[in-house]
Amino acid sequence: MSDVNRPDPSDARQVVLALADDELCVGQNLAWWIAVGPFLEEDLALTSISQDELGHARALYGLLGDDIDALAYGRQPHEYRSAHLTELPCRDWGETLVRHFLYDTAESIRWQAFADSSWEALGAVARRALAEERSHLRHASGLLSRLLRTESGCSQLLPLFDQFAPMACELFDVPSGCSSDDLVAGGVMSSPLGDQRAEWQATVDEALAQVGYQPKWPDHKELGSPASGRDGQRSPHFATLHAEMVEVLTIDPSAVW
Amino acid sequence: MKTYEVFLKRPGKDPFTHVGALEAPDDELALSFARDCYARRSEGEQMWVVARSELLVADSVELEMADRSHRHNDGALLRDLRKAGDSPAS
Repeated sequence: MSDVNRPDPSDARQVVLALADDELCVGQNLAWWIAVGPFLEEDLALTSISQDELGHARALYGLLGDDIDALAYGRQPHEYRSAHLTELPCRDWGETLVRHFLYDTAESIRWQAFADSSWEALGAVARRALAEERSHLRHASGLLSRLLRTESGCSQLLPLFDQFAPMACELFDVPSGCSSDDLVAGGVMSSPLGDQRAEWQATVDEALAQVGYQPKWPDHKELGSPASGRDGQRSPHFATLHAEMVEVLTIDPSAVW
Repeated sequence: MKTYEVFLKRPGKDPFTHVGALEAPDDELALSFARDCYARRSEGEQMWVVARSELLVADSVELEMADRSHRHNDGALLRDLRKAGDSPAS
């Protein structure tokens, strides 16, 4: 009887792979800001956060196999599981800030759900990541709440929430065939992804309530559409992002760093 | 933007050391930027961040760089005198 509730280990691996791919894409995109941030401190902060996210990706890929580079860079586009939000280049700093806030708020909730995982190595990665997430959130929330106290901040940032918040819901989707409930039953996660998403939406709503704004959340019945990044459908931005990631490996496949 | 000064302390007996400055719009963001600018590689286990405007600044006239060699005593003169006095040959 107890075997019925045991999660399929491949489900847990699929969910970890999706999380790792999110981290890889966000980390790579944030790294673009090196030397071009709006001011020196922000330039360093974004790229330092980028390194943290790439570190999380590395730790998660490490749970799935020994050849981390092969997992991170060696797959075909349809084998990645990243949410489309993470693939956006966000070359406008306002876009980067809004994505950063939505993403790191979501990530903290997802890590929290893994902190006491029955997959012990995953729990250890999650607990370590949570410590770093605190400073990421302080950075994102600090800048956001400050800018939302200005008129130009509101007029530039709030429309971006309508654009990105619905996309960000995908962060709480699992690849098809995976069951969030089974992962909870097996102790891999402490709460189902639907509950995590509700908690995240409440956090985002609360942050925007100071300016009396509520993003246009999608009806969740619409989620899990066939274009989902979780099922291997890549957004139009992925090809450029991936080409950048593998540039060195393409030139010299035996490169070591 | 305000200017802040950042101090770090490594584990053990080392004292807090000034590591640099940064600009930030408020105290909360100053702490956030200080972590990313100066402690992202775990350079310290404790950090102080203080607004430059809050520092007590000494009057530089009192710190004038005059000749104060008489205050620098490495003990060599005393050592030589004692050596001369203690030697049975003298």
